[in-house]
Amino acid sequence: MDVQHYISSGILESYVFGLLSSPEQEEIESIASQYPEVKAAVDALQEDKAKFVKLFAVVPPVAIKDRMLDVLRHENTPNGHQLLPAELRTVAPVVNGKARNGKHTPVVKLQSPKKKRDHIWKYLAAAIVVLLLGSVFMNFFFYNRSTDYKSRYKSLIAAREKLEAEKAQQSLTSQPLVEKEPAILKDPAYRQFRLEGSGRFSNYVATVCWNPQTHMLFLIAQLMPVPPEGKQFQLWAVLNKKLVDAGVFESGAALAGKLQQMKPIADVQAFAITLEKTGGSTSPSLDQLCMATRPTK
Amino acid sequence: MSCDEVTCNLFVNHYTLSIVEYSATYTEAELIRGLRDHDQKIFSYLYDHYSPVFYGVIVRVLNNDNNVSDVLQDVFLKIWRYSDKYDENKGRLFTWMLNITRNTAIDMLRTKSHQPDLKSLHLTDETSTDSHLAVYPYIDHVGLAKVLESLTREQRLLIDLAYYKGCTREEIANILEIPLGTVKTRIRNTIQQLRNILNK
Repeated sequence: MDVQHYISSGILESYVFGLLSSPEQEEIESIASQYPEVKAAVDALQEDKAKFVKLFAVVPPVAIKDRMLDVLRHENTPNGHQLLPAELRTVAPVVNGKARNGKHTPVVKLQSPKKKRDHIWKYLAAAIVVLLLGSVFMNFFFYNRSTDYKSRYKSLIAAREKLEAEKAQQSLTSQPLVEKEPAILKDPAYRQFRLEGSGRFSNYVATVCWNPQTHMLFLIAQLMPVPPEGKQFQLWAVLNKKLVDAGVFESGAALAGKLQQMKPIADVQAFAITLEKTGGSTSPSLDQLCMATRPTK
Repeated sequence: MSCDEVTCNLFVNHYTLSIVEYSATYTEAELIRGLRDHDQKIFSYLYDHYSPVFYGVIVRVLNNDNNVSDVLQDVFLKIWRYSDKYDENKGRLFTWMLNITRNTAIDMLRTKSHQPDLKSLHLTDETSTDSHLAVYPYIDHVGLAKVLESLTREQRLLIDLAYYKGCTREEIANILEIPLGTVKTRIRNTIQQLRNILNK
């Protein structure tokens, strides 16, 4: 066999990237086991493929691991067995380790039909009594509540009116800020970074827009609370493992749509937010690290 | 200003989803032995190190499918159960696990769409990676963008159809409207180009 010709024919690439049928695959494997050069070429292609698929690596949700370890822990119980993928289930699941050797024939006690019917009547009577008691109780309960409805209805109307007035007021005041937001978020000159919290800050969201040419930096604290008394959130630009102060900013629901200008930054790989004393710190308190990013654009 | 090396590493590890090569702690032989002995510590280790890669493969096969998590779980349960079927002579443990991942995900894909065509496979044009990247936080965002940019649309489709959608040569020839005889050489050219970019 002309090994070089075989290697350069493209068949090995087709093999490694999954284009061949099972018989063809087996043929390649058998040839690879005979010709070290073919084996080396296949191994090199597998390495290329590994590098390629690693580019698409995505961290899976944490819950999957726990769920899976749970399945493994219970794989020998009937319930756990059902959780296994279909092809991993054995035909007869092992029940308490007894069914395995087949010597123990299960003995089922057969009941006479008459006895069974007696039981049904007993249960039926008990169920009816329980239903009756439940019904009596519910009657009292709903009667008491219904008398109270009229006044509650009135107070609800009042509360709704008050909320609507507040909402109208709010939309009046926040209009100019909200309108400013989309312009920069859509500006292709700006790179956007989304910051998300983790741990006890996991609901926090902020967006940072940075212009690599002008070095201008803006922040929108979309979902961040008002900081505690005497504290303020501070933005840090991460570059080559160094954290550079990008300024402090205001946060809270009232500022959720507001574009806040931060200190200009020349170059940056990621951002982080820490909680600092009011006015900011010169070096970050990493134990107070709340949020961090990956670039999304 | 700079933070000291240790805190910085902690910071980087915790907040920027980094992948650590496994050579740091276990040798391949130790991993194989541990897996065969059903050592939960080794299994957990394999999961921690490879689940992002495998999850990425499944995501790419099934797109935004709800079954992605279930498939990942099935993959690792198969790795656990079938560990004695792994044959070192055929290739690395990673390759074997990756094959299980791809096959399991493609089986799931095939139960959903029987006739592969551009639409049912939900192929996205990867030049617009942004939309794709926004949905999933890819770990090597920069490397990925670089590779995708340097391949032509046809080359990207070729890899996608062959590897991620499990199409046969005939199906690929049909979808891309190219002669069947050229599929093999085009795959080879694509992989050669990929190798150049990856090893730069």
